[in-house]
Amino acid sequence: MVREGYQPPTAGAGPRGSTHTGHEVRTQMTYICGDCGSRVSLAKDAAVACNQCMGRVLYKERTKRMVQFEAR
Amino acid sequence: MAPSKKASWTNAPDAEELEKRNTVGIHKETVTHNTSVDFPGHVPGEDEAFSLDRFRDGFSVDFHQNDPFHASFSLMGIDASLSNAFRRILISEIPTLAVENVFIEINTSVVQDEVLAHRLGLIPFKGGKEGLHNFLKWHKKPEPGEDAYKNSYDWNTVSLELNVKCTLNEDADPREDDPRKAYHNAHVYARDIVFTPTGAQEQYFAGDDAIAPVHPDILIAKMRPGQQIGLTMHMHKGIGADHAKFSPVATASYRLMPIIKITRPILGADAEKFQKCFPDGVIALDKVSAKEAAQKGSGYESHVGETKAVVADPMRDTVSRECLRHPEFEGKVKLGRRRDHFIFSIESSGQWDSDELFMESVKHMKLKCKKLEQQVMDMVR
Repeated sequence: MVREGYQPPTAGAGPRGSTHTGHEVRTQMTYICGDCGSRVSLAKDAAVACNQCMGRVLYKERTKRMVQFEAR
Repeated sequence: MAPSKKASWTNAPDAEELEKRNTVGIHKETVTHNTSVDFPGHVPGEDEAFSLDRFRDGFSVDFHQNDPFHASFSLMGIDASLSNAFRRILISEIPTLAVENVFIEINTSVVQDEVLAHRLGLIPFKGGKEGLHNFLKWHKKPEPGEDAYKNSYDWNTVSLELNVKCTLNEDADPREDDPRKAYHNAHVYARDIVFTPTGAQEQYFAGDDAIAPVHPDILIAKMRPGQQIGLTMHMHKGIGADHAKFSPVATASYRLMPIIKITRPILGADAEKFQKCFPDGVIALDKVSAKEAAQKGSGYESHVGETKAVVADPMRDTVSRECLRHPEFEGKVKLGRRRDHFIFSIESSGQWDSDELFMESVKHMKLKCKKLEQQVMDMVR
């Protein structure tokens, strides 16, 4: 039994699971600074650092997709 | 040849014999006579076959306490197999409504998604009885790969929402160290869950009948400013055998009625010590009356006015056997339990009333018997 509804995107999962559909190539990604907690937008070739505190640890944001769990 | 004298066992059993058969013996280190003997062929010449009339004559119910969250009552004249069946049905077969699926949109609190989902599942909910028991039906789980909402309708799925965001309380003292005052929504409680009725649920769960947590103060998560929980829950009907969150009772248990028999007088300081061997109210102290002292061979001779121990309320005894440890009470007291007297204690988790639960367990038992009867008939055919 699959306990969680969320499946990590795989290469052959089709348009729903894949993040690289060609149409929406994201040039900017937002991260969360591990030092000051502020949101950091990084351009494609920008240095990996927080633009407020220069912290070099950046975390990925939580998925915006709905995640299903069984309450068990 | 003279007709042989009839053996003693051919006579009908007297009251003393019947009581002896019905008593579980409790001794210092052993428990004896713990199986019932009222079945055919156990005693020669006695017909102990089960008959409905005999059951009806011997059976009685006596309520001790009947509150929505706790019912306590005695069932007398019933076999352990039946009362145990009721207990087991109470725990694992009476359906209740509980959170089954959690759809998390956002959860930036420190509680992990699966832990949060598990916590939400364990919260007991209440609602209109008519809607819960008659309107709501079973939900069929969609096959793996099918749409999660496939079999969800208003008559089998109840939808709830929880949307809370923790923010800084600007009005609070900057030195405030109680997070509940310093921040808004620092603690997420069960009362923050919002019921969103769909379809016919608006009629069945309107006003006071709305689906709501039984205890609004259950803490679900703690948060700090910037953290947020946003989710939808789907509740389905289920049974305790599937998951404990569906069990309608917190506890459902029984114990046998204790018997304390003082066979020889316990007097004076011994009586007070004897009283202390039992929980409060089990043993009372009384004065030896002149009438008792006048009785030869009673053990009370020349003890008029002295204190003696008498059994006041054996039901309150926990049968700790403390009195059997002391040499001064040796041979003076007999402990036991009444084998066909079950003291039930049912604590509902809130969706049903406790007494209602027992009636429901009887209903379930009856249904099971009907099913078995049909199968036996098919077997014979």
